[in-house]
Amino acid sequence: MKKLFSSLAVVVLILGIFAPSVLADSHDQNAMLRVLHASPDAPAVDVYLNDEAVVEGAEFKAATDYMEVPAGEHTVEIYAAGTKGEQDPVISTTVNVEAGMAYTAAAIDNLENIQLKAIQDSMEATEGMAKVRVGHFIPGAPAVDVGPIGGDDLFSGAEFPMVTDYMEIDPGSYDLEVRTTDGTQLIDLSGTNLEAGKVYSAFAVGTADNPEVLLLQDSAAMPTMMPATGLGGTADSSSNAWMYAALLGVLAMGAGFMLTRKRSEA
Amino acid sequence: MVRKLFPLALGLLVFFISFQWLNEEPVEDPRVLSTSETTRTQGVEVKKESIVTDQLEKAPVKQNYKPAVHASSEQYGITPDRIEIPTIDVDASIQALGYTPDGGMAVPKSLTDVGWFEPGTMPGNQGNSVIAGHVDGNSGPAVFYDLKDLSPGDEIHVYDENTKLTFEVSRIESYPYKNAPIREIFGPTNTRNLNLITCTGPYDDEASTYSERLAVFTVLTDRQEL
Repeated sequence: MKKLFSSLAVVVLILGIFAPSVLADSHDQNAMLRVLHASPDAPAVDVYLNDEAVVEGAEFKAATDYMEVPAGEHTVEIYAAGTKGEQDPVISTTVNVEAGMAYTAAAIDNLENIQLKAIQDSMEATEGMAKVRVGHFIPGAPAVDVGPIGGDDLFSGAEFPMVTDYMEIDPGSYDLEVRTTDGTQLIDLSGTNLEAGKVYSAFAVGTADNPEVLLLQDSAAMPTMMPATGLGGTADSSSNAWMYAALLGVLAMGAGFMLTRKRSEA
Repeated sequence: MVRKLFPLALGLLVFFISFQWLNEEPVEDPRVLSTSETTRTQGVEVKKESIVTDQLEKAPVKQNYKPAVHASSEQYGITPDRIEIPTIDVDASIQALGYTPDGGMAVPKSLTDVGWFEPGTMPGNQGNSVIAGHVDGNSGPAVFYDLKDLSPGDEIHVYDENTKLTFEVSRIESYPYKNAPIREIFGPTNTRNLNLITCTGPYDDEASTYSERLAVFTVLTDRQEL
């Protein structure tokens, strides 16, 4: 009888070893960060985050997708491409990011005055609406309005290097323009298509003579869960595991009986 | 007495051990967040010489450089009605679907149709459009059963009445069901992507679903008027 108890003890011990461990969800601790090169006369750059290369050879008008970074303070250094270790960075600064938030770090102004502007990005639009904001990153250009061609302003009086608040508008195709506050068109944005559930940042970049707009997506409509795309008909499901385990168990039991019987015969 | 009990206990022991072994849960590593892969492909030498704290050193930072898109750039998203994947002989109808009552992504009841996440991006537009299909039903394979056999470079065609869009597989990942990077699959991006989802990994009887999801990431390469 003692043997039985010790065997059971072993079973319990082994079950303990196989007990599933609970893993923390690492995504919750992170923030999202993207980098935009909006300095019209700056060279292609490498971007280092905490001394680690995250972007290589990004030219003017390049933007990264969002990168997942831990919450907290990060050192951001921007070097002319390939010059780390040989030259000083053109920008060296820190950016503080909160968990669960998204940010854009934009290198703005002419090379002479280049600086990093960090802004927080919206991660949600009302269902069925599009959400948009405008950033004025054209050094030396006057204050601008943005609105439909021949229509009222959606955004007024944006000055360098300002980023407006977000505004929710109906999704659809818009013939927008960026114009000076006296109505002169600077940039034609005819056929700008804004989708429902999306959040956009329209950053005006370039020079006063050669302005253009980068339309970045800050967010999109997302489900809270992945889809349930299988019913298990072809799976090695756990019922199979039960079967195989039972089979092995019975085999072992049989072997045990044989063994004890042989011993008693001997 | 002992002679009869010993083999019984042995059998029980083997049963439990083998059950645990056969039924083992997949390792829940967040496999997406490594720097090393992308860093290597771009030939970047990552130097770590200075005052980086431990937390930051282990931090997931994904190198992710893409060109930005212009506002005036053409948007040519379509409402897709058919998907064709020649490599794995898929030719299926597409249903436009939204959310489940819980806020998840809905999928067709049909095992032969696939579902496009309609509240998200239209295939062809800038952003991540998403199409999901079943891997199997109660008794046999379904439309996306062979999705796991795709490899980078394979082509996917999506149609509406007048247009054929071609996407190319860039990478394939699998994620634990409850810990998938939703924002990376459905969220904002500068490129025109189509991501395909189906189930994979061992079946979890308790949760009545597969324990992992397969995500095939593809990028738009061509657009033809039919």
